[in-house]
Amino acid sequence: MKNSDKIPEGNPFKVPENYFEELNDRIISSTIENQYGNKKQRLYFRLRSFLAIAASVAVMAILSYTGIKLFTPRNDSISLSGIPVEVYSGTLLNEIDLLTLEENADLTGMQGLGPNIDKKDIIDYLLLENIDINEIQEQL
Amino acid sequence: MAQQKTDNDIFDLLETDINKGFRLVVERYSTRLYWHIRRLVILHEDADDALQNTFVNAWRNISEFRSESSLYTWLYAIATNEALTLINKRTRNSAISLDDLGSWFANSIEGSTWFDSDEAQIKLQNAIIQLPEKQRIVFNLKYYDDMTYEDMSKVLKTSVGALKASFHHAVKKIEKLLSGI
Repeated sequence: MKNSDKIPEGNPFKVPENYFEELNDRIISSTIENQYGNKKQRLYFRLRSFLAIAASVAVMAILSYTGIKLFTPRNDSISLSGIPVEVYSGTLLNEIDLLTLEENADLTGMQGLGPNIDKKDIIDYLLLENIDINEIQEQL
Repeated sequence: MAQQKTDNDIFDLLETDINKGFRLVVERYSTRLYWHIRRLVILHEDADDALQNTFVNAWRNISEFRSESSLYTWLYAIATNEALTLINKRTRNSAISLDDLGSWFANSIEGSTWFDSDEAQIKLQNAIIQLPEKQRIVFNLKYYDDMTYEDMSKVLKTSVGALKASFHHAVKKIEKLLSGI
């Protein structure tokens, strides 16, 4: 619509040769023909949260399995090599002390407890009462 | 109304075959939108970039487009926004102020292969570029694209009355600048 005689008509802008002939193909290649890449991206973004959850569950499963394997005690005999003396010596010495205790405990002062009371039963009872084995040995 | 009627064939095709429908959109609107953008951004390379972005945006949102809206005004709105984004970026990057626009324009077209060096046209384009941004869009859409005020109102989200007044004032300003007053 030309409202004024003072304003010149015409289009002063020019374009490179064949610009409009090639324009539509370039637009199509950056839109429709690029849709498959976008589809993949869209699929990835949609599944991203599910993938994250699945990855977390897998990591937790692996950690749980590893933890169970590490901390579950074994039934086979434990090799003492590599284990510090202080770790096992207490246990073995306690067992030895218990045997020694049972052999050497003098319970003559406890005859008043009744006949047919086994020495072992008394020691076991005291151990159940959380009385230290060394203290039992001292007393008996 | 005529434009809406013409675009009905595109709507039908978009429903049945979106790829074919979009190709038709590109064929029908690419040249028109290029010139609309070019008149705003001046430089061919910038216009080409903004036009590509326009159609990429349109493609991304074409499945949400509803036929009760006008494809014509929808596309022009996207194109206008892309052109303005580019202009604002250029202004920020080059620190061009409103007062410098005339100098910027003169420097851009001087010796440019992509501008007709006709003196009258140089003066006209220099006058247009000095209009406030929105008024420049109004002038271009009315003067060059012969867009109705009702359609322009949808593109620019401005009332018809304001657009009419804006165009009237734009013509007066340009005539004044051309006459050297």
